[in-house]
Amino acid sequence: MRFDGEWLLCDDWVARPVLRCEILAADRSWRAAEFLIDSGADRTVFSANVLKSLRLEAGPPAASVGGVGGTADVVTVGTELRFTRADSVKVLFRGDYLACTSPKSLDMSVLGRDILEMFALIVDRRSNTVCLLGGRHRYAITENS
Amino acid sequence: MVNTPNSIVMKEVTDPRELAIASSQRERFDRNSAWLQAHIEEIYSAHRGRVICVAGEELFVADDTEGAIALARAAHPEDDGWFTRYIPKERLPRIYAL
Repeated sequence: MRFDGEWLLCDDWVARPVLRCEILAADRSWRAAEFLIDSGADRTVFSANVLKSLRLEAGPPAASVGGVGGTADVVTVGTELRFTRADSVKVLFRGDYLACTSPKSLDMSVLGRDILEMFALIVDRRSNTVCLLGGRHRYAITENS
Repeated sequence: MVNTPNSIVMKEVTDPRELAIASSQRERFDRNSAWLQAHIEEIYSAHRGRVICVAGEELFVADDTEGAIALARAAHPEDDGWFTRYIPKERLPRIYAL
């Protein structure tokens, strides 16, 4: 199983590793969304503007999440993410996700270890590669002689 | 820090109709994303601190998410590949690691 991400330009014109997918909204439609791949994040977190676009009923406030800039208020939402495999098959990830309530806390949603650790992760700017590998897919590290 | 175990269930979509609808939506999302990447410098320079929504390979800007989506949906009601981004006010080096 292979999911390809990409290097997308962000607000500072720096390319960052992003996986594009869809999120199931309250009205059962799917909303396109971009996730920064963040192997240091413990959890997948939706940005506030993505949370608003989904109109999901939020659970009680989760404690908070912490980062370099301090803590941010978050809520929990139960929903599904839909990824597109390299062979075009769609795969759903159902669970409880965190979502920021202030747009200043997080400008882009992040894909964290709760999902990333289900796969091997390749983030390679030099070869312009971003992908998650699982199932029958493996990677190999080779050394040129 | 919220760091409790979280159980996420992975499931493959097998319904052909659902797959076809999802693939069509993804194609529209791909087009909108590519359009933003092609125009990102001018867009980000002009709209710091605001929310953008890209639909129909066109830009919609508002002070909040609801406003940007409303403009986009009104102009392109057929496009379900729209997406939003908040453009931070300041250009700063970023460290995410929540």
